[in-house]
Amino acid sequence: MNLSMSTKNQPLLLLAITNVLAVAMPHALNAAEPTSLAGKASAGFVVSDFKYALSENFDEMLSCPQGVSKNEFEIYAMTPEGARKPTESEDDFEKRAMQAAYAKMANGGRNLCLHPELGEKDPYFRVLDNTRELTQGINLDGRASADDFSTPDGEQGIDNQFLRLVGCSQSFQPSGTSNGFAIEMLAGSWGILLSLSGVDDWQNDDLVEVSIFANADPIQLSPARKPLHYASYNYDSDSRFQTVTKGKIKDGVLTTEPADMRFHHVTNALMLERIFVDAQIKASISDDGALSGYLAGYMPIEALYDYQFGYRHATLADGSLAPEARRVQTSNGASFVLGYTCQGVYQAMHHLADGHYDPIEKQFTSISTQMKFEAVPAFVIETDSRNTDITSTGAQ
Amino acid sequence: MKSRTRRTLLKGLFHGAVVGVGLPTLNCFLDDSGKAFADTKQRLPTRFGTWVWGCGFIPEHWIPTQTGSDFDLHGHLAPVASYKDKLSILSGFDVKLDGVPNKPHITGCLGLRTGVPVPDENVKKPTLDVEIARIIGNDTRFGSIELSTSGINRSYSFRAAGAPNPSETSPLAFYQRVFGEGFQDPNNTNFVPNPTFMAQQSVLSAIKDQRADLVKTVGAEDRHRLDEYFTAIRELEQKLTLQLQPPAPVENFVKPQQPEPYTVDATMSEVIKTHKVMADLLAVALQSNQTRIFNVLLSDTASNLRKPGTTATHHTLTHEEPVDPALGYQPQVAWFAEQSMLAWKDFLDSLSSIKEGDGTLLDNCLVFAHSDCSIAKSHAVEGIPMMLAGSGGGKFKTGLHIAGKGDAASRVGLTLQQGLGVPIDRWGSLSMDTNRPLTELMA
Amino acid sequence: MTANKFMRLFIVSITICISLLGCERDASSLREPAAAGGPLLVRALTESQYRASVHSIFGEDAPIAMRFEPGLRSEGLLAVGTSEVGLSPFSLEQYNQAAIALSDFVFNPDNPNQPCLDSAADQFDQTCAQHYLSTTGLRLFRRPLSEAQLNLYLEIAKQNFSLLGDFHTGLKYGLVGLLTAPNFLLRIEQTEIVDGVEVLDAYSRAERLAFFLTNTSPDETLLTAAANGQLSHVEGRRQQVERLLASDTLTLAVEDFFTDMLRFDRFRDISKDSGIYPAFNADVLQDAQQQTLLDIVQHLLVDEGDYRQLFNLKQTHLTRALGPIYRVPVPNRKGWSEVSFPSDSAYAGIQSHASFLALHSHPGSSSPTLRGKAIREVFLCQEVPDPPADVDFTLAEETNNHAMPTAKDRLIAHNNEPSCAGCHKIMDPPGLALEQFDGVGKFRVLENNTPIDVAGNLDGQAFETVPQFAQALSNHREIPRCLAERLYRYSVGRDVTWHERAFLDYLNQVFVDVDYRLKPLMRTIALSDSFYAIDGNHSQLSDTHPKIAEAKP
Repeated sequence: MNLSMSTKNQPLLLLAITNVLAVAMPHALNAAEPTSLAGKASAGFVVSDFKYALSENFDEMLSCPQGVSKNEFEIYAMTPEGARKPTESEDDFEKRAMQAAYAKMANGGRNLCLHPELGEKDPYFRVLDNTRELTQGINLDGRASADDFSTPDGEQGIDNQFLRLVGCSQSFQPSGTSNGFAIEMLAGSWGILLSLSGVDDWQNDDLVEVSIFANADPIQLSPARKPLHYASYNYDSDSRFQTVTKGKIKDGVLTTEPADMRFHHVTNALMLERIFVDAQIKASISDDGALSGYLAGYMPIEALYDYQFGYRHATLADGSLAPEARRVQTSNGASFVLGYTCQGVYQAMHHLADGHYDPIEKQFTSISTQMKFEAVPAFVIETDSRNTDITSTGAQ
Repeated sequence: MKSRTRRTLLKGLFHGAVVGVGLPTLNCFLDDSGKAFADTKQRLPTRFGTWVWGCGFIPEHWIPTQTGSDFDLHGHLAPVASYKDKLSILSGFDVKLDGVPNKPHITGCLGLRTGVPVPDENVKKPTLDVEIARIIGNDTRFGSIELSTSGINRSYSFRAAGAPNPSETSPLAFYQRVFGEGFQDPNNTNFVPNPTFMAQQSVLSAIKDQRADLVKTVGAEDRHRLDEYFTAIRELEQKLTLQLQPPAPVENFVKPQQPEPYTVDATMSEVIKTHKVMADLLAVALQSNQTRIFNVLLSDTASNLRKPGTTATHHTLTHEEPVDPALGYQPQVAWFAEQSMLAWKDFLDSLSSIKEGDGTLLDNCLVFAHSDCSIAKSHAVEGIPMMLAGSGGGKFKTGLHIAGKGDAASRVGLTLQQGLGVPIDRWGSLSMDTNRPLTELMA
Repeated sequence: MTANKFMRLFIVSITICISLLGCERDASSLREPAAAGGPLLVRALTESQYRASVHSIFGEDAPIAMRFEPGLRSEGLLAVGTSEVGLSPFSLEQYNQAAIALSDFVFNPDNPNQPCLDSAADQFDQTCAQHYLSTTGLRLFRRPLSEAQLNLYLEIAKQNFSLLGDFHTGLKYGLVGLLTAPNFLLRIEQTEIVDGVEVLDAYSRAERLAFFLTNTSPDETLLTAAANGQLSHVEGRRQQVERLLASDTLTLAVEDFFTDMLRFDRFRDISKDSGIYPAFNADVLQDAQQQTLLDIVQHLLVDEGDYRQLFNLKQTHLTRALGPIYRVPVPNRKGWSEVSFPSDSAYAGIQSHASFLALHSHPGSSSPTLRGKAIREVFLCQEVPDPPADVDFTLAEETNNHAMPTAKDRLIAHNNEPSCAGCHKIMDPPGLALEQFDGVGKFRVLENNTPIDVAGNLDGQAFETVPQFAQALSNHREIPRCLAERLYRYSVGRDVTWHERAFLDYLNQVFVDVDYRLKPLMRTIALSDSFYAIDGNHSQLSDTHPKIAEAKP
């Protein structure tokens, strides 16, 4: 698996400086509100909400007629030896089933979450494979194929195999817990910055420059924990977390050309990386300088497995590989709480992959994924010698 | 109890190093079998306090329609209806200005507390709580306790111009001051006097000896200020004297829990919470003889209370909110006025929750509740709403509505002071000068 | 006039001439009018003075375990209030508690600097105790202890040694005594007779000088100068004044003066609706005050700039927390960044800072009236009377009034009330000029979707825009006069007396002559006779000695 695509993005370091200086100051005599983008050539943003674009019309009976995926505990409990015995108390039963489930996952020292390829076929893993589902997002490949989704407005060809992967896992359903990772972002663990420059017209412009960065600073919040507008943030000085691409604005909607992007991610204090290949942005730009839309691309499946399910290469804050016990604990615990088996999700991932065909292995290596995001105005600042004195958890 | 004074006891204990002071509720009041408060009814101390809320009231929702003992608590006073027998409502008493410019929210408040209206905060006399404290508040750890529950460090208890008694604004800081270091569990039977208190006392006593030399070097006005310093030193000494004695046992005493630290906020719901926490702490402080005098400021007289997300405060609303033509008053202002009375009920609940003798702590308190104006929109100082709660240990009659009909508000202040033993026969200046207490209130 | 006085004037003239050669802009050729002086004072230490004194005497780690009661503001200054305010039982309780905690710290056996470390615990070491109490007493009381005083504190130490059986513990209570004594907590000025005239004594001079130029107790050098009689003649005073003006502590003094003048103590009670002003958090509260003080120190002390330009400064200092209020990029991730606003920005001068705009606003809205009043009172030293009690404000403050969408519309309607119009004519133009800043200082151009018109006239200077208002304020002739007179009141801790009018005129002219720079103005005050002069209405000595100035009319 080749994950070295980020090296091709050499960011224009000057860009950030330009941004800083080019932000027009409010003009006292102008009756336009100072937040208006009018008259400005560039603008910065900090992502204020970030989550997977999931089903718009989910209905457990219709969407997942075969039920939802099961974790090892539930699977064990369905076996004859796993069933609760009439003489057994609830507690004793749970204890016994948990022990059995953990023993199975431990797999004689090669934990199935760290080595999902060793697992037997999980017959209980369920994917969202119906055609009724509606979801929002971007048509990444320009085609409308059979397993693509439609939007509630009837637009076809939305590529989102990730939704098929997780759509029948309990925790990814609308009320589930797996889509709440922005909490870590609001806690300052990671963040995303965007900046637009070379803009002549914020409604229609054929060529603008778009930069996407990992945020090196914790997001600034109001007492009610809402991201503040017009705060200043440094972007990550590691070039792997910097992307520059071209875009255009049509009727106030920005779309960008495909580019690779990489962000920080944190789960259970483990440092992870969220990687998108050939990712695009489609977002509407409001007059007061906010963005709202989608960031979609292909997640290489090994990398996706790592940051979302298995934590195989998770590191500590200092960059060293986290102790195996921490990674096992986190991945096994997640599979219990969120309702799947590691091998089940890994197997389904290979089955559902739809991007970046590897002709030698004769298989697709990535999964189309749609993120929904909001961003508010911010000042994006380059990290230089003056201000490298702090490290946030998001920075290296 | 006549011959065995605390003084002789202490002299025996500390070789005469400590000067004794009058100490009514101490353990010499135990009956022979050691049971506390054998005859508590007369012996429980009388406490006095004021409870102030800002920006007045809505008369039609507050003033009872009948006077005398058969009156109704309706509208905003409905929440305290269960306290009718322990309350007196005083309506229609005016602060007479005699041409003194009315400093909004100040002149009325200080006028009825000092008997002398002033156009600013430079009071001409101490406020009545200070006068009463001199009579009944001398022998407790704290001369008085001031609380402000809306986050603003304001106080309407003045010893003199430029000398207010500052308020506690944080429940935690209040707790630590009273129940933290230096607090003695009144029911601790293994009392051992802490020698460091004696050491501290020796320091204060030595400082006091410098007074004569120092006052010689300053002018008359500063002499007064130096005297304030030495008065405060004396109060500290007294406090230490108390610390060196076994505290008087207190029935039903339970030391309160330390409140959580938090930022005090001026939104109404938060203030109600802060007020309740502080009122509960105050009640235990009174019960355990930490003080006999208190001044509680629910909201500043130019009330900073507000609802979250709104541009206006209670005070600015009194000016900016249009009068609803159908209702005849400002509906949002009325909401704050009603909330203030709900807080008043909380306060009475706190005092009543503590059993004392045959009744409750409230019975042994006299609480003077009042605002700074009547109708805040026009800053009127005529008919400022006032209430009394508790009988001050049987010294006052309760359960009355007295309509002042434009009488000077100083009649109320005179009544309170005379009833609690302040030796005055008249009080107030010019039109506020009165020698007519409200005799119907005196027991 | 006495011969002594002639002599002094002569020396003053000489030194001014000498300094003219070196640094022309730093002095005025004007001559100080005969000093009138004011009463002898008893001043309470302010919170900042108490803190600074404790830290300069016992080190930066020394704990200050107390709560301070709010100060009393008089003549626009807490510093003036210190000579009027009383010490409440609450305060004394707190000071006593702090004295005990501080003494526990000093006499902690683990403290390597514990006094009398070599003395045995079970014997009273009279020599060391005496030495410790007299040297510490000198610093705390800002003058040597008299023999009687020293014996008093020694006696405390001895008594408690007997009571508690430990020398250091006994001595600790001697320190508790010093720290609780009125001689420490109050600045009780004393006089002495020089050539038959009653004057402020040397230690009281040192005290006035130290608190004015360092905002803390006199250091050892200054106390030595007082002991040697240096402060009785102008050259000796000049030496000390120059030393203190060149010291880092000058910054602390200047910060304290402006903290007082700008009423930052009121930040203690400020509250903002977090729904309406999400960016106004606890960091902003702190940093907003610091921003203004940093600008003041930078411009007035570091750049030695013209005071009037403070109202028109385009440079400021910001932290990341302040960025969302001003909506400008803040380069440095930690600490302060220097930021310049573009020339057409509404942000110019300290009156456009969040520290001013938020302080003089309501919790959920701006207030042209509060801001106008503050501009008049804080920067122009003009007094605005309280509103009449029975005014209907309904129109003025109703922020969702659709017929009158902006504050200006509402105030114009309100001002049809004749009893209000007079004051509002004074307050409204400067207050309305700042209406393009919301209740925490964020720039805006619309209120209720209607453009905010800031045009007005400040005492004869017309302006159309916020920057033009900044210029008009900067040009206002009362701006420098207000500062010079307020600084003098601050330095002497009282209002000026009738006879000091001539001195104020002199001071105002000096300020003009030194190009409105702060340090030369402070120097002029610190070297003036007026600063040290006392009138005859005081003290035990006045009955037997002639007064140096006539009584007030």
